[in-house]
Amino acid sequence: MKRLSYILSVLVALSMLLAACGSPAVQAPPADAPAADAPAAELEGTLNVWAFTNEIRTMAIAFEGRHPKVDVVYTMIPMTNGEYQTKVKAAAGTADSPDVVALEAAFVKEWVESDLLANLNDLLPLTEELKTFPSVVEVGSYDGVAKGFSYQATPGAFFYRRSIAKECLGTDDPAEVQAMVADLDKFVETAAKIKSCGTGDYFTVGTPGEMLNPFLANREQPWIVDGDLVIDPMVEEYVKFAKLMRDNGYESQATQWSEGWFAGMNDTLKDANGTPKKVFSYFLPTWGLPYVLIPNSKSDTTDTGGDWAMINGPMAYQWGGTWVGVLDGSPNSELAKEFVKFVALDEENLTNWATGVYTNEYLKAIDPETPDDQAQAGGDFVSSQVVVEKITSSFDNSDLAKFLGGQNSYAAFAQAAPSVNGALLTGSDDAIQRALNDPLASYLNGDITEAEMYAQWLDAVRNEFPDLVIPEPPVK
Amino acid sequence: MSLSKFKRNYYGYLFIAPFVIGFLIFGLYPVYNTLALSFTDTTLMTKNANFVGLKNFERLFADNVFINAVKNTWIIWILNFIPQVGIAMLLSIWFTNTRLKIKGVGVWRALFFLPNLLVPASVAALFFAFFSFYGPVNQFMVRFGLLPEAMHYLQSVPVTRGLVVFIQWWMWFGQTVIIVMAGMTSIPVTLYEAAMVDGATSSQMFRRITLPLLKPILIYVFVTSLVGGMQMFDIPFLLTDGRGSPNASIQTNNILMYMKFASSKGHIGAASSVGVLIFIMTSICALGIFYFLRDRDNDEPKRSWFSKKSTER
Repeated sequence: MKRLSYILSVLVALSMLLAACGSPAVQAPPADAPAADAPAAELEGTLNVWAFTNEIRTMAIAFEGRHPKVDVVYTMIPMTNGEYQTKVKAAAGTADSPDVVALEAAFVKEWVESDLLANLNDLLPLTEELKTFPSVVEVGSYDGVAKGFSYQATPGAFFYRRSIAKECLGTDDPAEVQAMVADLDKFVETAAKIKSCGTGDYFTVGTPGEMLNPFLANREQPWIVDGDLVIDPMVEEYVKFAKLMRDNGYESQATQWSEGWFAGMNDTLKDANGTPKKVFSYFLPTWGLPYVLIPNSKSDTTDTGGDWAMINGPMAYQWGGTWVGVLDGSPNSELAKEFVKFVALDEENLTNWATGVYTNEYLKAIDPETPDDQAQAGGDFVSSQVVVEKITSSFDNSDLAKFLGGQNSYAAFAQAAPSVNGALLTGSDDAIQRALNDPLASYLNGDITEAEMYAQWLDAVRNEFPDLVIPEPPVK
Repeated sequence: MSLSKFKRNYYGYLFIAPFVIGFLIFGLYPVYNTLALSFTDTTLMTKNANFVGLKNFERLFADNVFINAVKNTWIIWILNFIPQVGIAMLLSIWFTNTRLKIKGVGVWRALFFLPNLLVPASVAALFFAFFSFYGPVNQFMVRFGLLPEAMHYLQSVPVTRGLVVFIQWWMWFGQTVIIVMAGMTSIPVTLYEAAMVDGATSSQMFRRITLPLLKPILIYVFVTSLVGGMQMFDIPFLLTDGRGSPNASIQTNNILMYMKFASSKGHIGAASSVGVLIFIMTSICALGIFYFLRDRDNDEPKRSWFSKKSTER
């Protein structure tokens, strides 16, 4: 026993010494990327692309179509509980590191602010040519260096059910409904009307979690300013609002992205007694329409298509978006850069992407092994104003417009997109916001008090950010 | 030392070399590296790391997040270990009992072991779906009048902890049954026969024969379960939001470590400090188990010859 403690103490002393002398080799500094200015006549090689959805796989196949000698190896890792972020972080700088990574709005800044992404300033002139929305470029840049670009701009909107609006509010006209939800007070009044309407089986929203983004987008300051955590008054507003929605039964209590939340989109939501329930509205951004609302509007027996309308809702906001960047030190950096250019800054690709050119037949002609659900339906809102202007009118009588009872969503998003503020995003948003979920859920449930909620949340944040200065909780 | 003797020794070293090398690389080095990292502020997203002394450890005790995680881990492990060993013992006694002569013991044993073969991710997803707000358990409970209205099971601390305990128990008791049964069948039948001739009751045989001879096996089960329990991760991580919700009640040591590793910049230095403390805590407890359950034959020479025999083997 004595000998054991002796060995242990020597080991401790030794490791402290070594740790003090030199930092343990965690990451080898990446080799300088070969500088090749002239693009090769024909691109070839293998490119490793990691992403958290299958969207970019479609573009990867199209990229292979344009450059037949290129082989894109695509890896999809979900990010529900942060698996993707962890995996990429652990792989960066090692031999298993991908060449190109997709970065979601919640954590893109963390990467852009790090040393791990390659400088993509060469591609900046293209953003002027394509008139990429400035906020998209801003989010992908840090200290004047562009490190990531996005094919999307993601202003948010408020989608509501026309039938419920007619029944409970007396009209389904977008302008009139907008007036009824124009600010938070009016929104709450309208929610009360919807609750007391008919047999009382309508919820105004699926979950207040959807409304986190609108509130956060209207803060004065980002989460972190000069190493201090900032709890903007809008955060407290959000907590109060979420509690009000829960206590008054204006929300369905389904968890966001769970079965119950999706069921509200196609009228198959039933409470535990089997009573059908309906959800009046969903807060969703550009991508929410083609990827979330439309695919979930049909069940085996129901179809809510055509019964939706789209307005700005109580607050302007943006939500999500996918940026692509090249990992510094990638051996295929030129090819990787070419891929980023194709995905985010190529007029033809963006047009094809938004207008539904990438059908299964199109993709299978390039790669016969394409999965059957890989097709990209039209309607995703792209980051280039040049492309947006050219294609907006093509959505006038599209399936998208039919889904919204004749509204052209593209035109509406085009109006909202320039007002998006990219400066509120910081590298720590994801972890700070995730840390709020659990205490907030307990508070909404009535299990803990508001003060306990703030204390738990700030403790959790402190544990994930050793260097952050945490303020006193706003409620004690 | 003569040459021939050296050669003999040399072969011995050669034979154990694979294990020693494997242990040094995959066993000792990670432990050492974790220790070294725990004194630094290393992150995955920055290239420079500084020596910060014991600051990571100080931070762990600055609030009660770490203490809460340790508490959760112990609660969940103890609540799962007691029924696990209890039921494994009971089943093993029934299965090995020469009077009961239960048929198809192999089949039962395989059935009890089956949950262990399931992927934790799918088990957690299954339970998550069952117990969600709009899930089948709520439908059943409300329609049969067992609950007045639907409840958020996975936002209730006792229910969620209970689910983790149940899943851990359900997945692992089959394994314990196999080990305990192996231990029981290795006890010579003659001992029981002799005891029966002497008129011993079942409970006397259990306490005087089975338990003492099973002790080495029980210590093994105890220690391996403790080590596994202190490192509990997959089910509590996957069942709710990966942060141990609700109310951080199923946030175990390893989830906290993982959160520090996975958060924002990937603070692996801070995460390592959690790992080091789990290591120390587990080591102390395991050594304690060995110490308190050690064979006391030498101290008490008058003990029965059964347990003496077991140490000679």
